[in-house]
Amino acid sequence: MSKPANGILLKLLLLNLFFLAACSTYGPMFGKHRQSRVFEDFVLLKTMPGDTFSSLASTYLKDPNKGWMIADFNGIKTLSPGQELIIPLSPLDRGGLKADGYQTIPILVYYNFSDSRSDKMSVSKDDFETQMNYLNLNGYHVISLDQLLNFIDYKEQLPEKSIVITFDDAWGSIYDIAVPILIKHGFTATFFIYTDFIGGGKAISWDQIKQLSQQGFDIQCQTKTHRNLAVLKKNESFKEYFNSVETEIMYPKKLIEKTLDKDCKYLAYPYGETNNLVIAMLKKHGYRAAFTIGRKPASFFVDKFRINRSVIYGSYDIEQFKKELSAFQKSELK
Amino acid sequence: MKKLINIFSLFIVLSFFQGFADPVFSFEDSGDKFAKNFSEKPPEAGSIFQPSFCLNKSKAFERMDELQLALFYMKIANTLSPDDPEVSEKIINLKSKINIKSGDAFQKGKIFYQQNKFEEARIQFLTALRYKPDHTDALDYLKNKLIPKPYMLYSPKKDDSLKSISEKFYRDPGFEFLITYFNDLKPNAEPVPGQSLKLPILDPELSPAAVDIPKKITAAKGLLEKKRYQEVIGITDKILKNDHSNKVAIELRNEAFYQTGMELSRQEKNFEALTMFNKVTPGYKSVDKVIQKAIHKEFLKAELLLKENKYEESIHLAERILSHDPSNMATQNLITTAYCQQGRSLLIRKKYDEALKILGDLDPANDCANKIRSAAQKAINVQAESHYLNGVKYFLNEDLQNAIKEWEKTLELNPSHEKAKINIKNAKSLLEKLKKVN
Repeated sequence: MSKPANGILLKLLLLNLFFLAACSTYGPMFGKHRQSRVFEDFVLLKTMPGDTFSSLASTYLKDPNKGWMIADFNGIKTLSPGQELIIPLSPLDRGGLKADGYQTIPILVYYNFSDSRSDKMSVSKDDFETQMNYLNLNGYHVISLDQLLNFIDYKEQLPEKSIVITFDDAWGSIYDIAVPILIKHGFTATFFIYTDFIGGGKAISWDQIKQLSQQGFDIQCQTKTHRNLAVLKKNESFKEYFNSVETEIMYPKKLIEKTLDKDCKYLAYPYGETNNLVIAMLKKHGYRAAFTIGRKPASFFVDKFRINRSVIYGSYDIEQFKKELSAFQKSELK
Repeated sequence: MKKLINIFSLFIVLSFFQGFADPVFSFEDSGDKFAKNFSEKPPEAGSIFQPSFCLNKSKAFERMDELQLALFYMKIANTLSPDDPEVSEKIINLKSKINIKSGDAFQKGKIFYQQNKFEEARIQFLTALRYKPDHTDALDYLKNKLIPKPYMLYSPKKDDSLKSISEKFYRDPGFEFLITYFNDLKPNAEPVPGQSLKLPILDPELSPAAVDIPKKITAAKGLLEKKRYQEVIGITDKILKNDHSNKVAIELRNEAFYQTGMELSRQEKNFEALTMFNKVTPGYKSVDKVIQKAIHKEFLKAELLLKENKYEESIHLAERILSHDPSNMATQNLITTAYCQQGRSLLIRKKYDEALKILGDLDPANDCANKIRSAAQKAINVQAESHYLNGVKYFLNEDLQNAIKEWEKTLELNPSHEKAKINIKNAKSLLEKLKKVN
């Protein structure tokens, strides 16, 4: 090869390298580099092999649990390499408001469980498995109370079919029967306990509660003795009632926080009953929300200290269970 | 070699085009470059990164009245095609439409709210918020004004105390502890005018105001017919604790006390009857007359006792009458007469000291009392003089010891008897001298 030819070849090689270097950030569609653009309100990108909703949410929304936001917005359920996506960087629909209605969040409450037979307050193991399976197969997102309250506080958006699972009273059967099924489905849940019951004959123990808390389940308060907070006892003076309510509210909160080293900020009213005085006291002592019993599911504009929960009775078949899962309330909002 | 050069040239060209084959995205891109790259090699038809795709998507959402999503896609279109005047104009139009629709809904909501049509108001505020998610006023109505508060706010007035606020709000001054508790006040704190106090609203079953008044009235009426007056009084007390001016309850209570008084009066328990009658509103039925009648009955008893010279019993009874009717002149006169007669009786029995003591509290201007007092005092002075003369007699008989005793009795009855004082002094001096001589 002549010297001039070598020089031309060298220049061509350098030129090529220059172009390759210049173009490397654009890269091939399925190459090593992300093709994305981040704007103030949204991200535009093409997916790469290995991308998941969770990984994208982790990168762009700083929360791997918000992958559903990407799926919901783009109207997809799965990802494939090269897929074009828009990722909104802030919630576009905090209240779940649509032209034809608004989002509602069913909150289920279970009491007791049995291995085989069910009665009114006890759900059988098979029925519970069927119900959790239904939620899993039908796209329900089981969310925590913190997520629910962020939605109610108009801070966060929730998946379209969000649902909360709670348990009252802390029967031992919850730990033995319900918890393994929840874990199997990857569902979170909240346990409202009344502390005088813990460690009793058929109740869950403190060791089991600590274990549940360490597993990520939420332990919250259902008073100390399970007294009806809204009713004076026979021959009880108002002052005695007042002092009793304060104890019912304060004692278990301190005990749970001390034992589990986690916040106790939600309360389930025994028998679902409350009144203004109880609510004023809960607010004074830093509770964030409290739960009654009722069929109407929660919206973001619900009274935070009178949030309904639907009781799932042992007598329910799957059709009756499905009626408790209303995630949208029709109402013309235009 | 030429072949090699051609291959390299082709490779360079290919590399060049490969570099821009999909030049849409990089972290370093600016919007302009991004758009320029797009114009050089537009995305495939139907790509969500095409401005036209986002434009169409925006229009579709606008037709569905989902204006926020329409605006969102239009902003993406604007990013992809920043120089497109149609897109810029559309953004302005969408923002304007959003403001108008949310504003209209909010105003409607406020009108419904003012008419206490809360469900209708809520729908309008939700609509306002759907159009404009940052509509803080609509959010305030939904999250605060439309949700009942467990307490009311109260601004203390001048001269308010925690007890008076408690009485005013809870109808029970003893509930002041609720105010201190929920406002982090010390128990004896004084409310400051202008401060805002949280007063928890007590539900009916807890509140002292929680009396089912119509039900209680019906019950009280039934009991009155059955002459169960004490129970009527108990029920009406509860009603009036909650509703001070409840006329029916006042009427029932008056009747219960009146009838109880009449019954006691028939049993001649006039003072117990008077206690009942005095709880009846003055002017109710003939209560003023029956009160006077009961008093008169007792007055006659007192008068009879006086006639029987049972002065102390008469006075005691008359004083009981005065405790119910302090301005009763006849009874006051009866008491004076009784004291006078008792004093005269004592005077006759020569119990001058007791007579003076009994009459001591009577009006100094009272003639009867003055006469008796004067007579008693005169009698005492006579007694004193008698003892003095007895003493003089003993002195003359050289019985100094008894002379001194008599003069001392004189001084007991008349401490200002100067002669008796001097004589005692002289007599004692003589006795001393006699002792020395003997």
